[in-house]
Amino acid sequence: MKRSKMNIAGLLLALLGLMTIPAAAAQAKPTITISGSTSVAPLATLLAQKYVKTCKGGSCPKFKILQGGSDVGISDVSRGRVTIGMSSRDPKPGDPGGIVFNRIAKDAICLVTNPANGVASWDQNLVQSVFSGGVRSWSQVPGAKQKGTIDLFTRTPASGTQDAFDKIFMSPKKVFSGASQKASNGLVQQSVQRDKAGVGYVSLAFTKGLTVGAYKGVPCTLRNAKSGQYGGLRSFYMVTRGAASGASKKWIKWIRSNPAALRIAASEWVPFK
Amino acid sequence: MDQRVELLLGALASSILLLIAGMIIFVLLKGLPSFTHNGLAWFGSGGNIDQQMMDIFNSPADPDSYVYHLRAWPLLYATALITGVAVVASTLFSVLSAIFIVEFAPQNLRRVLEPVVRLLAAVPSVVYGLIGILVVVPWVANHLISESDKESVAYVIQLDGTSILVGILILTVMITPIMIAIIVDALRSVPTNWVQGAAALGVNRWRAMWTVSVRAARPAIVAAAVLATARALGEAIMLSMVAGSVGFAPNPLDGFTFFLEPARPLASTIVDNAEGLSVVPFGQTLYAFASILLISSAFLSFGGWYARRSLSKYTLGAR
Repeated sequence: MKRSKMNIAGLLLALLGLMTIPAAAAQAKPTITISGSTSVAPLATLLAQKYVKTCKGGSCPKFKILQGGSDVGISDVSRGRVTIGMSSRDPKPGDPGGIVFNRIAKDAICLVTNPANGVASWDQNLVQSVFSGGVRSWSQVPGAKQKGTIDLFTRTPASGTQDAFDKIFMSPKKVFSGASQKASNGLVQQSVQRDKAGVGYVSLAFTKGLTVGAYKGVPCTLRNAKSGQYGGLRSFYMVTRGAASGASKKWIKWIRSNPAALRIAASEWVPFK
Repeated sequence: MDQRVELLLGALASSILLLIAGMIIFVLLKGLPSFTHNGLAWFGSGGNIDQQMMDIFNSPADPDSYVYHLRAWPLLYATALITGVAVVASTLFSVLSAIFIVEFAPQNLRRVLEPVVRLLAAVPSVVYGLIGILVVVPWVANHLISESDKESVAYVIQLDGTSILVGILILTVMITPIMIAIIVDALRSVPTNWVQGAAALGVNRWRAMWTVSVRAARPAIVAAAVLATARALGEAIMLSMVAGSVGFAPNPLDGFTFFLEPARPLASTIVDNAEGLSVVPFGQTLYAFASILLISSAFLSFGGWYARRSLSKYTLGAR
């Protein structure tokens, strides 16, 4: 009788001990959950990996990065479902209240065509007439090697890239109603790669295998984006609920000031100044 | 003990019913504002639906000035067209294939065909979508779509390979294996005396199968068609990859070009725009689409049950 009671007591103590270990571990390592823009996600992944490697002390955070689009990030962070939301578009009047947009980098939006077509330069009139459906044939576009009908690839309404494209390149005109709406930068890239008559807009990091055109005489390259000369620049933000605090504040401060972080951002984007 | 088991099983069954009822009520309530602001014109046509959805998405933050204006006809038409043609084609093909497997196939072929059909029924739909977008869509774009076709509709819509033809084709391939499996089981369960009686009267094998077995298995064919339609209605990812990403109602007056035009059914629209759920009126519009899908599935089930009831007067009595 005594032995079984002692066994039970020992088991309970062991269980209690086991339960405190995860609690202690959780206190030691904060988790930063991130969701949002598919354009910001590659940069955020690289920065998180570097931060985990180089941070010192016991409060090094763990990162969980999801995507879903700029609007998903903004709504998730405003409801407290994630710690940080990634956004590739500027704040809109319809956004929920109480959130702060912390800019971490800038990005260029490039106009891309299939290499078999190779349109090398665009001006604002040409972009507007092609994307609004005013011009429907490549034979009317100077510099195009194809002669057939134009196939437009754009983004769904929730995309931050689409928001930036409409504001910077298209306004006040609207995009052609027959354009194919893709859900991410990668899908636009893949569609223009397989269609000789295809044209679309992507973030600078997604231009492999495509011809990138110059806008208003300035080529869409990283150097021109950094110097501010390229006309199609938009900001990347880390959105927090209220001002950033704790582990997220440290990480955002690190992104903006640490030389290693700035070097990572400078590899394909315009780092914070 | 029996009483306890009975109560437990009854509780499980009721909880599933409650879950389904709760789901339907939740989706209907969430989607109601979109219907009340548009009235019956919600189902009509007028204007470009992609532009209307963009306007709903960019509504001001003030609840009094939410934009709800929507004319969902292109999406309803695309859903009905793609699902309807795919199910009709699939039913025809499945019945003929099932007759072949049950009656005419040599033993070795039958031993290979049956497991292969069941294996195909288990392939995830996103695999079909990948094959479609990597193989079928470029083939259609390069070989079936001519430059004159593209020019003839250039100011209305673009033909870039993703089209209802590819959507219907891959959807048919997707739903046929399930139908074949169900109809083969049904044809096998017809009492052999009936078929042997027909043969004794001098009828050839094909006629015996068609007039006796297929007639007897009609309730099962209807059940298989209902199952296939339900799967086709809910097919979102594959159709969003291959049927086109633009809300457009293909025009039958265009002739063959009609099949080369893109469209986007309801389920694909929901999955393509799911990122915008956080914008209140946009989320309510997506819930309105979902409630249409739920209600049509309910009508489908009911219609199938009614058709099987009237058919089973002359058959095995099994439902």
